[in-house]
Amino acid sequence: MSKGDQILDIQHVHMRFASKGLVVKAVTDVSFPVMEGETIGIVGESGCGKTTLGRCIVRAYEPSEGKVMYTAADGQTIDFLQIDKATMKKYRKEIQMIFQDPYSSLDPRMTVYDIIKEPLVANFPKMPKKEIERRVMEIAEKVGLNTTYLKRYPHAFSGGQRQRIGIARALVISPRVIVCDEAVSALDVSIQAQVINLLHDLQKELGLTYLFISHDLSVVEYISDKVGVMYLGKMVEFAETRSLFSHPMHPYTESLLSAVPVADPTVKSERIPLEGEIPNPANPPSGCHFHTRCRFCTEKCKREVPEYQELEPGHYVACHRAQELTLRGFTYE
Amino acid sequence: MEKTNDVILSIKDLKVNIRIDEGTLTAVRGVDFDIRRGETLGLVGESGCGKSLTSKAILGINDKKCKAEGEINFDADDLGWVNLLSLNPRGKEIRSVRGKQISMIFQEPMVAFSPMYTIGNQINEATLLHITKDKKKAKEISLGVMKKVGIANAEKRYDQYPHEFSGGMLQRALIAMALVCNPKLLIADEPTTALDVTIQAQILELMKELQKDFGMSILFITHDLGTVARMCDRVAVMYLGRIVETAPATEIYKNPQHPYTQGLIGSVHKIGTKAQERLFSIEGTVPLALNLPAGCGFYERCHRRIEGVCNVYDPQLVDVGGGHQIACFACTGCPNAGKEENA
Repeated sequence: MSKGDQILDIQHVHMRFASKGLVVKAVTDVSFPVMEGETIGIVGESGCGKTTLGRCIVRAYEPSEGKVMYTAADGQTIDFLQIDKATMKKYRKEIQMIFQDPYSSLDPRMTVYDIIKEPLVANFPKMPKKEIERRVMEIAEKVGLNTTYLKRYPHAFSGGQRQRIGIARALVISPRVIVCDEAVSALDVSIQAQVINLLHDLQKELGLTYLFISHDLSVVEYISDKVGVMYLGKMVEFAETRSLFSHPMHPYTESLLSAVPVADPTVKSERIPLEGEIPNPANPPSGCHFHTRCRFCTEKCKREVPEYQELEPGHYVACHRAQELTLRGFTYE
Repeated sequence: MEKTNDVILSIKDLKVNIRIDEGTLTAVRGVDFDIRRGETLGLVGESGCGKSLTSKAILGINDKKCKAEGEINFDADDLGWVNLLSLNPRGKEIRSVRGKQISMIFQEPMVAFSPMYTIGNQINEATLLHITKDKKKAKEISLGVMKKVGIANAEKRYDQYPHEFSGGMLQRALIAMALVCNPKLLIADEPTTALDVTIQAQILELMKELQKDFGMSILFITHDLGTVARMCDRVAVMYLGRIVETAPATEIYKNPQHPYTQGLIGSVHKIGTKAQERLFSIEGTVPLALNLPAGCGFYERCHRRIEGVCNVYDPQLVDVGGGHQIACFACTGCPNAGKEENA
């Protein structure tokens, strides 16, 4: 399998949570393909379901409906959500996750060496001790951890160093796909840049595929090849990064882009205000979920759910009026 | 103590020491800045650089383990030009300043409110303490401010508890609480960090509008250079308990001089610009402010360091014109060094 082939095909994934007699639709009918070696950014405000989607894809949650078709290293295409435990064991190590908070995702009572070693021991129980040590050392060096400190506990490390530990743990079993859930959000900007550069280098070297979930649009624009925008559990727009940022086709994307603070005081951006707040996901609005806050809302939007369709090559939108509207994005140099 | 017309707050050589098991940690190591009437000063830096300690020292609400030294001069209503640090931290004088003339918006609105009292009750607290003893009147004032900060349905919201508010609404309530006594200076400590971009933009716009209405000055503390660009007139960049560069906002983005400021601005990708192959990143991490070696605090991470100068002498802020000050030998040269070596 070479770079550019399809590695994941997410098809109509739904995730419903039952709580106190209510059903919360955290993810509703999300579909998109992922090519090998590319980075897909998923953006949206808190509560839009982006983390839930990431967890569905690695099967940390069991989605209510849908398929995650995965083309494995051995060329087989399987539905990651349907396979049994034994098959799962074989393939799970190929899809790994990096978590949001480097302070709570590492066990404080394990040494850093043991933390990085754990996935190896779990997935390759027969691996000799020497080989385990070699691999841990190799990966620690690759992510820029000082190998003399591996016998220490996580509390002795700074935020940026801890995130490197999390990355090393995900990489040690040579995965092909990594779901990064807000992987750099908790870090200071200078450290953020270090970790983003590291992810970038590792991708080039190892041919990794990233699913990069974040609320920070500047970071997503920098790192992603394609970007999906989520609102209230639905994917409302999906396109190549440049295309999405320069000419958004969904009014929600437009507002989101206009709200990004640009680190340049000479840029006076006209913000397109969003009325009100995100509706309760347990009781979403009728028709288009966004209609309560949309400035282009019509009667049809209140009644009918817009179809998620490809309006331009590779540019998917779910909006009744996408074709007639001209929306504003960023101007590229 | 001379007071220039426009300045309402002047900090001189502020140091904050923290007692810890290993000894004394000097987290703020001599900070100077002025805030003028009606202006917004951005205090920018990464976590641990001492920006929150500085702001809390102004109000005298730092932890017991922290000891502030230096001068924090404030143009108080009844007391005149007064050094806040010379006042008894529990005394009557500082209490007439704290919450009334200088008030603060905290980082996480979810944590700043007590879950046990209604929002109205908590906003009233300041009004009842500083303005009026009449509860009915206090409620009227509180409702007025709540409406002003854009809380719809203020009468109903007044009797609700914090858990019934969303993050953005709670931040608005927190702003209402800070503004209810019409302060001269508002300290905003990362007021939008915990919020989504769309809500963040709403809150920043609201603060700007209210600043115009109330004519107050804002000390805006953040690590986010994007919000600084949107909000501030002047920017002071802090590193390891020192201000390393200060300039008008437009100048600092157009013409950053200190290697740390350059690194900070370079490490943020700007949408719409051509993506570089790699983001600029400052190597290493912020050292612990315990037993710091002599010289510039940024020495270890600096790509322009001059051996024998930067790790020996302590750089001070030097004026380079246009309100732009830099504390860096590589930028401004080091006249002292030569002299002392000759002597």
